[in-house]
Amino acid sequence: MPSLFRRKRLMTVLIGFIILVVLIGFSMRDRSELSVPEKFLQDSVGWVQTVFHSPVQLVDNAYQNIQNMLNVYEQNEVLKSRLDEYKGLIQENQQLEKDNRELRDTLDKTDSMRDYTPIQGTVIARSSDRWFEQMTINKGEEHGVEKDMAVITSEGMVGKVESAGAFHSNVQLLSGFDESNKISSWVVREGEDNVFGLIEGFDSESGRLLLEGISLDEELEEGDVVMSSGMGGVFPSDLRIGTVEEVKNDRSGLTKTAYVEPFADLFDIDHVMVVDRDMETVSEEDQEEGEEQ
Amino acid sequence: MIRFWISIIMVILLVFQGMAMSLLPSRIVYSELLVTPHWVLCLIMLVAIFFDKDETYHSVWYGLAFGLLIDVVYTGVLGVYMVTYAITAYVTHGLQKWFHANFVASLLLAILGVALADMILYFIYSFVQVTEMAWGDYVSLRLIPTVLANALFFILLYPLLKNRVEEWSERWQSA
Repeated sequence: MPSLFRRKRLMTVLIGFIILVVLIGFSMRDRSELSVPEKFLQDSVGWVQTVFHSPVQLVDNAYQNIQNMLNVYEQNEVLKSRLDEYKGLIQENQQLEKDNRELRDTLDKTDSMRDYTPIQGTVIARSSDRWFEQMTINKGEEHGVEKDMAVITSEGMVGKVESAGAFHSNVQLLSGFDESNKISSWVVREGEDNVFGLIEGFDSESGRLLLEGISLDEELEEGDVVMSSGMGGVFPSDLRIGTVEEVKNDRSGLTKTAYVEPFADLFDIDHVMVVDRDMETVSEEDQEEGEEQ
Repeated sequence: MIRFWISIIMVILLVFQGMAMSLLPSRIVYSELLVTPHWVLCLIMLVAIFFDKDETYHSVWYGLAFGLLIDVVYTGVLGVYMVTYAITAYVTHGLQKWFHANFVASLLLAILGVALADMILYFIYSFVQVTEMAWGDYVSLRLIPTVLANALFFILLYPLLKNRVEEWSERWQSA
């Protein structure tokens, strides 16, 4: 009897091990879509998260509002003094906007890669394991979200859609990017041509993105802005990514690597936009929305 | 019905585990330290200590089910939390026979359990290259803060649920 029992335990361990390996192998390979049970579970938990998230968010907002209210007087004084400066700016801005629109009308047909339809979403949870830089948002396939779409905040790009459920999706943050998810990007320099590079990962020690493959004879300066180029075929162009902080020759000595500080705060994210690139259609509305972001 | 209530509480903990990461002030949650909440595991261990008798293994089943749920919802790599939580529940269940079921002993078990679970996670994840942390960094940046944070949570959870779980256990026995 004891030997039988021991054999049973051995079998359990073996079977458990096999199941573990099979499951890991199944989920780690490059899947284009989640399996149906996974989607179902993700959405079900997503609904529960939404239910609990709304009241907590309410309290959180109320707390922040109270904190803001305490500073209202000082802020008001500062703002009043700034108001006069802005009057001039507004007129200048209107002028530029008009110019811009006219110029844009002439370019309309060629310049469409930057246009996209934003899908507004709210972050309802983040991965509890810090090794997985993921978060859950409350928009899914039913709202038009698809795998690999870019996700941005008002400040800049924060990540891309890792997997989409029916009503919720998982977003992979920039801080979790590795070589399997590259972003083709431009470095925008003043008075010179743009420099091409690929965002190929994240340096977790310094909290900066790695922009690789910059050719040796290009000179980059600290503070140059990095934007997506749209050449990867998935993201639209001109999404703000970050600023160059440091440039080094890479290990092989054939190209340069730039360290890029992301614009967006990757830790404190509430509202996001999923970016649905539309190559063909260019409506006026989209352009204006695109400009605001 | 009892199992239903336990499952509900586990789902709530699971949801809060992820919400805590997005709602707590970011300078606490996202410091250098990789604090990971294992709140579901804390409840699984409570079940292992106070609900399970010698011959029942409910906690292991809860570990399998809710570990898998965490895999699906929070990591996307299936099976890792599932196996880890089941093993931890099994070990806790085994060790529990040697201790009196009081506060200090269960806190000790919880600390051991969380440490064990997190180390298994580290080994599996470094094996499949989800993380490339060195062992020394892992211990100082993740293991110790995680164990402390979860011990704190266990201290909060214990007075709330201990009596209830024991009561459920008796009702389960008599039914």
